[in-house]
Amino acid sequence: MANEKTAGEPRVGGRLDAIAPWAIAIGAILATIGFVVNFTVAPLVNGATVSEPALIGGTLVGNKLLLSQKIFYWHMPVAMVSFTALVFTAYYSIRFLMTKRYCYDVRARLATEVSLIFVLCTMVTGEMWTRFEWGVWWTWEPRLTTYFILMLMIFGYFILRNAVEDTERRAVYSSVFGILIFIDVPICFLITRLIPSSVHPVIFRTDSGLSPEMLLPLLLSLFGFMLIAFGLYRLRLRTQLMEDTLARIQDKLED
Amino acid sequence: MDPVLAEIYSTVLDAAPFVIAGYALLFLVLCGYVVFITTKLKRTEKKLAALEEHVDELK
Repeated sequence: MANEKTAGEPRVGGRLDAIAPWAIAIGAILATIGFVVNFTVAPLVNGATVSEPALIGGTLVGNKLLLSQKIFYWHMPVAMVSFTALVFTAYYSIRFLMTKRYCYDVRARLATEVSLIFVLCTMVTGEMWTRFEWGVWWTWEPRLTTYFILMLMIFGYFILRNAVEDTERRAVYSSVFGILIFIDVPICFLITRLIPSSVHPVIFRTDSGLSPEMLLPLLLSLFGFMLIAFGLYRLRLRTQLMEDTLARIQDKLED
Repeated sequence: MDPVLAEIYSTVLDAAPFVIAGYALLFLVLCGYVVFITTKLKRTEKKLAALEEHVDELK
């Protein structure tokens, strides 16, 4: 990337970079509040029916109360962030193919990198839930399968980037592949509507079954992780552009 | 403990290690990435500063 043109590129080091650390800090605070509200305000969900109901805190409870569902309050937000980051991958990939400016290729790569981090977060939290509830580490449930394919495609994206040495070809191939990864996002998102599953409920609908006490920590965590992802992306972009500048200066000095 | 309450809360204690592990692993993955970025940033800043010094010496 050392000899690439920088004229006409989007600005770096401006207001967006100045607010990036604040975005991470505010995001962390929101996610933490979401975590606290999750364990203090949001009620435990019902499991299997018990032999005899009991009165707990003025409410008649006739089911087992499930703690494992608490994983959902960070699991679903990080999954949504991973999808959002891939929207930016596709956007920057399209921008690169339209303009052939490498700044967009860099941004697409970093958005995919951030997405991969959040995909890993989704996977580890999901694994913990699956292991406890089903007693297995993995099952070929529709949402899990499509999300697993998404993760493999992201790994493939980075393998492809490392495999192609020519800068221009690498950028074009990975831009096309980035758009292909994005195609799996709506499939993954809508799969619970297309093939209803008892495990992954449809959350984004008018009657999601979530009470306000449950929706509050979920939304707090969602906004928190969105801000964290934005801050991490800007920080990573700043680092990458500094590395590119360094390489350019070193190249000039060598010349 | 009341046997009915014991039945209602029977999965809570068993699930706790998995819930804790889920949150801890997520936190670790994110922290790992933050450390990766900040280490990279600091190393690049150091290299840039060294390069600036080198350029000044050349002048």
